[in-house]
Amino acid sequence: MKKNKKLFFILGGLVIISLLIISVHKVSRLHVNYMTAVDDHPLNCISCHVYTQKDGIVAKLINEDYLSPFNMAVSPDGSKLYVIAQDGDALLVVDTQTNKVTGKIAVGERPHSVAIKSDGNTAFVSNQWADNVYEIDLSLLKVVDTLKTGSGPAELAFSPDKKFLYVVDSYSSEVSIIDLQTKTEIKRLVAGNNPVAAVFSPDGSQAYVTSRRTLPMPFETPPITELTVIDAATQMVKERKMFDNAYLMENVAFTPSGDMAIATLIRPKNLIPSIQVEKGWMMTHGIGIIEQGNEGRVIQLLTDEPNAYYPDPFDIVITPDGQKAFISHSGADVITVIDLNAIRTLLAESTQKKLDYYSNHLGISSRYVLKRIPTGANPKGLVLSPDGKNLYVAERLEDRIAVISTENLETIKTINLNGPSRITVARKGRRLFNNAGHTFQYQYACYTCHPDSHEDGLVYNMAGADMGRNLANTRSLRDIGDTPPYKWNGKNSSIYKQDGMRFSTVLTRTEAFDYDELDALVAYIVTGIKNPPNLRYNPSGHLTEAQKRGKKIYYRTHTNYGEEIPVYNQCATCHPPPYFTNKQMTDVGTLSETDDPMLLDVPHLNNIYESPPYLHDGRAATLEELWTKFNNDDKHGVANDMKKDELNDLVEYLKSLRDAKYYKNDPEYH
Amino acid sequence: MKTTIQKFAAGAKIFSLIILGGCFLGFTTDVNKSDLEVPATKSIKTDIKKELGVMPVYGNWKTFTKEDGLPADKAFCVRIDGERVLVGTNAGLAVYENNEWKTYTVEDGLAHSGVISIDVSELTGDIWIGTLGGLTRWSAGRFYTFTQFNSGLPNDVIYSVVCDGKDVWVATGGGAGHYDTYTEEWGIYTERNAPMHEPWTYGVCAGGNKIWIAAWGGGVIEYNPKTKGFRDYTDPDGEMEIDLFPDDGVVHNITTGVSYADDILWVGTYFGLSRYDGTHWKGYFDHDSGLISNFINFVKADGSVVWLCTDLGLSSFDGDTWVSYQKDKNSKKGKILITNDSGLKEVDAPTSISHNFVSGVDIQGDNIWLATSKGVCRGEKLK
Repeated sequence: MKKNKKLFFILGGLVIISLLIISVHKVSRLHVNYMTAVDDHPLNCISCHVYTQKDGIVAKLINEDYLSPFNMAVSPDGSKLYVIAQDGDALLVVDTQTNKVTGKIAVGERPHSVAIKSDGNTAFVSNQWADNVYEIDLSLLKVVDTLKTGSGPAELAFSPDKKFLYVVDSYSSEVSIIDLQTKTEIKRLVAGNNPVAAVFSPDGSQAYVTSRRTLPMPFETPPITELTVIDAATQMVKERKMFDNAYLMENVAFTPSGDMAIATLIRPKNLIPSIQVEKGWMMTHGIGIIEQGNEGRVIQLLTDEPNAYYPDPFDIVITPDGQKAFISHSGADVITVIDLNAIRTLLAESTQKKLDYYSNHLGISSRYVLKRIPTGANPKGLVLSPDGKNLYVAERLEDRIAVISTENLETIKTINLNGPSRITVARKGRRLFNNAGHTFQYQYACYTCHPDSHEDGLVYNMAGADMGRNLANTRSLRDIGDTPPYKWNGKNSSIYKQDGMRFSTVLTRTEAFDYDELDALVAYIVTGIKNPPNLRYNPSGHLTEAQKRGKKIYYRTHTNYGEEIPVYNQCATCHPPPYFTNKQMTDVGTLSETDDPMLLDVPHLNNIYESPPYLHDGRAATLEELWTKFNNDDKHGVANDMKKDELNDLVEYLKSLRDAKYYKNDPEYH
Repeated sequence: MKTTIQKFAAGAKIFSLIILGGCFLGFTTDVNKSDLEVPATKSIKTDIKKELGVMPVYGNWKTFTKEDGLPADKAFCVRIDGERVLVGTNAGLAVYENNEWKTYTVEDGLAHSGVISIDVSELTGDIWIGTLGGLTRWSAGRFYTFTQFNSGLPNDVIYSVVCDGKDVWVATGGGAGHYDTYTEEWGIYTERNAPMHEPWTYGVCAGGNKIWIAAWGGGVIEYNPKTKGFRDYTDPDGEMEIDLFPDDGVVHNITTGVSYADDILWVGTYFGLSRYDGTHWKGYFDHDSGLISNFINFVKADGSVVWLCTDLGLSSFDGDTWVSYQKDKNSKKGKILITNDSGLKEVDAPTSISHNFVSGVDIQGDNIWLATSKGVCRGEKLK
């Protein structure tokens, strides 16, 4: 009897444990199914609950501090290669004979570019997230001075007389001119939208500055991106070359003779329904050419081919003999080699009308593309050795430099920069994010519409049930892990769901990511995409007087007329810190006639100043327009009682909002 | 007690009117007529040259109208940009370069075709265009427009715009606005946060490390960018249309323009001109000086000379001598009025300014350009 009782308890315990396991399994299954929107994702808790850790010991254990080589410069004698380690916040010195890293200089946050003085003794490094440029003594490998710049300093260029340093301020869309004698900024010139690169013409008379984002355009019109021409003598902008239907003009190079300047660019077809993806030609990639003769014709040619795309062209260099150009395609892990004489012939025989036709022609590249050279993951910056024989390629997501022979057009060696050897899940996800391999015919990567994992400022026609409906303004991916749901209509409760099967159905039109890949992609998106510091509007956390006034308005409970504002219509109700979103769906009266009836996801507002245009369909060009044009009924907060200076204060406060981490432990916000 | 003061004030007013009227009569009776130019030489007669001293005088006027390529005859403002002449008209921005006029309108990106103020940034070369429908930044061919709807611009009617280094100031119908081109922040100054009578501002200039605002009904507002503090200068005589006590302050609170040069602030009103040297004010009127009309549309100081655009012609003054330019209504020829210590000399000129209602003026080397109600005109400095 006693034995039976014991057996009974054992069996009962087993039954209970089994029931518990079954229940936990079932609950887990339901949970995973809900989060992933599929019913066969492996029940692997680590996927979501370990790989996505951003802070703490677990995060440190599972992640690595990579270097991520970005832009480079070579010493005048070719013996040294200077490499910007974008994630390592360092300038690496590489001996080009031994292929070894011989020095590492700590620089500011998120360095972007390096420029070497002609004597080879001094380097200048732009720190994009610190709003300054470091002057480095290369003999001492030491930072000797800091030069203040505009916001988001990117590429650097010396004036022909070497007396001035031109700094492209990528976030404030300006070019700072710094007097190298006094080490002070003497002026800022307005460039295009989100400029990045600058180069002087061989005769030194002018500087060309590329920009990435389209200029502010009327709603539902194609993008136009500017290349800014600065006169070196007057140090003023003398011309603005416009590239129709193009954006993401990352870099530019002149031929040695100066007959052409060539910039990399993308030609998006964002206003046609995205179902076009499966027919090809949705995103095309190529070059923009500015002829120096022929009244400065502006020409665009594709580097893609029918049924094969080479996305995200980034850098371009031209050999000293002016015969070949090399372009890094960071979305396809390829270097394209261009025969410049073939380009010259094409331009000479073609009218502008014909060239305009060629700008959308996928087959024309066969006339001038010599070769595609495969590289490691995410090739970015390029630089040629002084003799032009070697091409150095920064393989950003390999922590490696590839060396390609410009004569044989083969990779002859790679230089290991001594980054971590382990490839983490998030790193794998970052590679996937930057690579177009999962889109039909390689048309685009996630990065293409989310450059720097942010947004591209365009409005897309996401093919839904009806064509031409539900236009969607691209949203930033910065720090979005904690702000579900996703999509403007909030239909995706998790990033798994967002980037899973539906993603491939609607956007990439090819095989969906497998679950390991999806785990990796989610891990990168959740852990690896940070907001840049808001140095422009809130560098220290101390609000300006206008921002303080604006904050009061943001949190106000009564109108100027003393009427109580309903809680649901107060700013902070839907947009509470730290993310300034309540993660709910709402209707603020902004749906247009072409939208399906729906509620909209309340967007987060951290670094909102960086994300124009605004509203779900990008109708509001500026923050002001949210209330001056699209809030007639006071449904998007009560604003019509405000005077203009009060609205200005509110906008100034919104521009001050920065990363969520600053608000999480701030008692003032709780 | 109060009644006694009021009686005294009324008496003082009458007394002042009598005295001023007498001065006016005496002043205008001493007219000496002659011809200005030695024919066909573009040079001034020797005796007149002596009268002028260093004061420049302009002649050989050429008028530009729609027939010459202007988009409209009604011109509001003119601004020199190197070799170019920029003219604001009621039908767009007209640019004169290489002897040709080219017009830019809303279709080109201008905020509004009524262009009423223009300034050029010496730092960047950008042109800032104040219109009746917003502020446009014209930078190397690209137009970018600020309105009260898409930006922090206080109001879309931009009576005046001035560039001061990286800062741009505007005088608008909804207050003065300050735009920091580096931070892109707008500041608005109205009666809510500055010593103004009402939000309407009509002129703005920079000088002496200060910003000077002509505030309609509020006199002149001084803004110190370092201290971010304001100070107002109002007419001590209050709302009176005469200047009861001479040189006691700005001549009237209805100010229409300000200009600063050579450490002197000049203030135009519809009731006369004021000069402020940082310590003392001095007033000038049509009845006691060579100012051709008290109704001043626009003021521009250029070195030691100040130019006054009025409803009856153009006046200029260098502290000693007044030279005014008019178009004779009957003969359509020019008339130059030279006033100094020795009295008024009226001289005839073969050519005239295009119209007596002058709204804008700027100097281009030896040429002067005027914006008037009937075209734009260019005068040449006579030797």
